[in-house]
Amino acid sequence: MAAEKGQVIACHTKEEFDNQMKAAEEAKTLVVIDFTASWCGPCRIIAPVFAELAKSYPHVVFLKVDVDELKEVAVEYKVEAMPTFLLIKEGKEVHKIVGARKDDLLAKVAEHGGGTASA
Amino acid sequence: MASSGFEGFEKRLELVFSLPSCGDGARAQHGLRLLPVGALREALDTVQCAVVSAAGNAAFDAYVLSESSLFVYPSRAILKTCGTTRLLRAVPILLRAAAGELGLALRSCRYSRGSYLFPEAQPFPHADFADEIRFLDGAVLSALRFRRSSVMPPSQRHSQQQHKWHVYAASTSDDDQHVDGATHFTVEVCMTELDRTLARQFYLTTTPGDGRRTSHAIGDAMTAASGLGDVNPRSLAFGYAFAPCGYSMNALDGARYATVHVTPEDGHSYASYECGGAEAGCALASVGKAIAVFRPATVSVSVCYDGAGTEAINTASIWSAVADAVEPMGLACRSRAAEAFPGATTVTYQTFTRTPASLDMINHS
Repeated sequence: MAAEKGQVIACHTKEEFDNQMKAAEEAKTLVVIDFTASWCGPCRIIAPVFAELAKSYPHVVFLKVDVDELKEVAVEYKVEAMPTFLLIKEGKEVHKIVGARKDDLLAKVAEHGGGTASA
Repeated sequence: MASSGFEGFEKRLELVFSLPSCGDGARAQHGLRLLPVGALREALDTVQCAVVSAAGNAAFDAYVLSESSLFVYPSRAILKTCGTTRLLRAVPILLRAAAGELGLALRSCRYSRGSYLFPEAQPFPHADFADEIRFLDGAVLSALRFRRSSVMPPSQRHSQQQHKWHVYAASTSDDDQHVDGATHFTVEVCMTELDRTLARQFYLTTTPGDGRRTSHAIGDAMTAASGLGDVNPRSLAFGYAFAPCGYSMNALDGARYATVHVTPEDGHSYASYECGGAEAGCALASVGKAIAVFRPATVSVSVCYDGAGTEAINTASIWSAVADAVEPMGLACRSRAAEAFPGATTVTYQTFTRTPASLDMINHS
């Protein structure tokens, strides 16, 4: 499945999620996962920031996981508040941001994701 | 006292709605949490504040604002703003959005605040409680038949009593007939004349962004260093540090919230601690721990409770539980009051000031 670069990929099944994670691990690409819920106000506030980040870092994989839709993934990654952002590189969690914290999200993606497209 | 400075005392609004009992599943389940971002932003813009961080759990959403905090439960919104914000101007916007977008009907409204440090700096209608009452009446009149306002404690012979609690409460019913069985407690603590050394912890020593430390990260470090993280170790805390000083924090623990705001400037230092939830016990127990973080010379504590199942709770037990939590900090109770409001709501208010004995202790240490 060809992921569109520069876009947030919404994973609706566990299989989709696993495939994305596996492909990123093999390519040694940074993955940023946004654990979100349809009923979570803070998730709606940060969503445009996440979409902008995906545009700025086309070489990073941005995934969106609805915690109601993929409960087992949320449990596996111990998500206790929304939104939670996980930064994963080569199968290992390199950073976790709990909450809609724009400055933290921008700083950590810059730190682990290298330069932006324009850099 | 300086003629102007940052107003720490917050204005606090709580709106409770009836969730639709049938029909649209998502609205009945999540209610206000489904408010569109645009409506929320319009309300906050009007108040003149903005979201700086936010998080939600299964029970509610918590927003740290540039001026204090917002909590959104499916049927309850709590908006608390400090400084010269125009809190009440959010009421018509929130009511319109809740009714129009989500089909929610207002069930009760409560507004409370202390006595401002700089009353002359407040914009209309906030400078005068009578104007605030008129504004609120105008906004909720059609929905809430039973309304009452009060300034607590009632007029005192001792004019040294400058700390007053302004309360407005309105409800669809005069008793608890509407109550869904849930009890709700809120504890609001206002502290002034903070210990100077402890207040200094809430000043920035580095610039946010330097060395990749954000305002969030510095806020979290202040939460840990000040001991605020230990007030309820089970909760998930979200701190935020302001430049050049000041701090806000929201904490989530299941359906229970807590929030702390600090304006540490000498001469008009202020800190507030508030928590709310279904249980009185743990809320009251946390008050002493929160006060110990600031060692203030003056404290006021207001407890508000409503709902069914409060038979075991009475004013006297609240007064003594609050006094037990506060007095070990070298503070003595100077006034206490309790009043009933529509919707089976009771509000208690107590003020405390530092005892001469504890002043001696500080001077000699």
